[in-house]
Amino acid sequence: MVPRIAHVDDDSDIRESVQRILSKHGYAVDSYLSMQEFIDSLEDETKRPDLAILDVMVESMDAGLITYAKVHKQYPQIQTIFLTSLGDMIRPYFEDGSHEWVCIMEKPVEPISLMATINERLKKAGEAA
Amino acid sequence: MAIIEFSWNKPSNQGILLEIKGDKLKLSDDVLISNIRWFITFRWILIASLVFFEILMLSASDALTQVGINEQQKWPVAIIIVLIVANIAYIFALDHCKPSRYNSPSINLWIQIIVDLICLSVVVHYFGSTSTPISFFYVLHIALACIFFSTRESLYVTILVCFMDSIVIFADNFLISQAPLSTLLNTQFLSESARKDGAIIWMLFLDILFLVVWYVVSRLSLIVRAHEHHLLDAYRQINQAQVEKDQYALLITHQLKSPLDAIRSKINLIKEGYLGDTTQEVSTALAQMDYRAKNMSALILDLLRLERLKDTCLNTAVFEPVEIQAVLQKCIEKLTPVANSKKVALNLSIENFICKVIPDQLEILLENIITNAIIYSHENTSIEISSLIDRKNLHASITITDHGIGIEEKDLPNIFNEYFYSPRAALHNKATSGIGLSIVKIAAENNRLKIRIASEPGVGTTFTIIFGTIKRPIATGSAKSIPLTDANFS
Repeated sequence: MVPRIAHVDDDSDIRESVQRILSKHGYAVDSYLSMQEFIDSLEDETKRPDLAILDVMVESMDAGLITYAKVHKQYPQIQTIFLTSLGDMIRPYFEDGSHEWVCIMEKPVEPISLMATINERLKKAGEAA
Repeated sequence: MAIIEFSWNKPSNQGILLEIKGDKLKLSDDVLISNIRWFITFRWILIASLVFFEILMLSASDALTQVGINEQQKWPVAIIIVLIVANIAYIFALDHCKPSRYNSPSINLWIQIIVDLICLSVVVHYFGSTSTPISFFYVLHIALACIFFSTRESLYVTILVCFMDSIVIFADNFLISQAPLSTLLNTQFLSESARKDGAIIWMLFLDILFLVVWYVVSRLSLIVRAHEHHLLDAYRQINQAQVEKDQYALLITHQLKSPLDAIRSKINLIKEGYLGDTTQEVSTALAQMDYRAKNMSALILDLLRLERLKDTCLNTAVFEPVEIQAVLQKCIEKLTPVANSKKVALNLSIENFICKVIPDQLEILLENIITNAIIYSHENTSIEISSLIDRKNLHASITITDHGIGIEEKDLPNIFNEYFYSPRAALHNKATSGIGLSIVKIAAENNRLKIRIASEPGVGTTFTIIFGTIKRPIATGSAKSIPLTDANFS
């Protein structure tokens, strides 16, 4: 089955770039403009992704972090990557001890490193399952 | 070669003196403990004076009797013993007993005051409660109680003082007839009833004085504490403002950097062939565009970093023990691609040690210095990163040496200034943001590190970061096994 990836970003150019890269590598991609749209989509089991790429500052300062907390609690099997302009600068907003497992990528989208990270995360999820 | 050393003394955070417990303002335990230690030292001095006095009495008793001072009293010895035992007990309670409900700094201070008052009462009794001004020493206890206790508690101390002084005067004049130590001071021979009347007036006068002193000092103390309270509020507001400012800076940085990221993402798509083939010229132009956009992104992030480093009130700045080798290796792994693109080899040869720093800031500091070394190196040269440990004094330093354009002697004192611009450096590196070394300066200041720079134009520059106190790592703690890590990341 084709892995499904959800991408949330309010920047249409970034959404388009990620969609292009992932589609070309054979992934099913669902792009969302807002975090709420993404959370609503999770109700539908057929649309539930294997991995979510979240922007951090969408609508509010920490929408991405709040969404992550919600998704992680309800659907722990969904892998998450943060793709943000601020990169590691958002680290202070994570609680201590989460440094190890929170994956933060800095924009711009770089196809090679994005694919490498996604594949690594999905592989890890596959091993865990 | 010009050498210059920079050290920035940052006033250490004094901490908050007051803490609010309920609606009462009290001094924090740290302040109480430091004052308890001061009282203990003061008491040792007093004990030493008493011992000296006692020795004087024993050795020159005849001479003292001639000038009118009676000798052969046992009370000073008893006072000395009580004070020594009590002082040892206070230290023991402070340093070796776990703080509990019954062993708090406040209780320790209360016991000190009570024991001191009893001892002082004995001294007052033997010196002469009405014939000498010794009773005025009680005022000291009232003043101290007003400073260290709440108003109500200091009133209790004042009442206790009045009570003790009254008992001593009453006992001296109505119960027992005690010859005062100094007959010189008791030259007036009054009748029995006149002496008793005088004693009562003296007692009333002293009690009124004690209460007046309590009122005045406690009022002053309240005013001072109210000011402290305002300061505390202001400090909290500043903290809150710092957090809000950080969020605002984050938002602005995001807004500034996002469009660049969108542009660069599209450039990456074209570069990687996701949008079809391009000509060589287009690829070159895209690479140039990307380079400029990348530098601008770096500048935007640097500005945020600089702002964050200045906000020392942010709770993220916590000192932790850090292994220098791990930090350096992380930096070097990150910077190797940059070094490779300039054909500069990074030679790491360091001996590990542990230092107490703010981990993120040390990383930023090293990263900036090494990045600078790479940027200002000539092509096909190397950068040496090494450490030196002074085992005797437990000092250490990290040296980063490049073979590049160097810094002119006249520029050296200014390189850490925030708005310093060197045309020579800018000519070599057009993309310089110029704030890299300002970041280094603030990080060094926050982490209490010194930086020494030796440079010769055209030859190269050596940055030495000096660490005040270090620890040896546990694995290499013994003097015999000191492994030298030699890694070449070129």
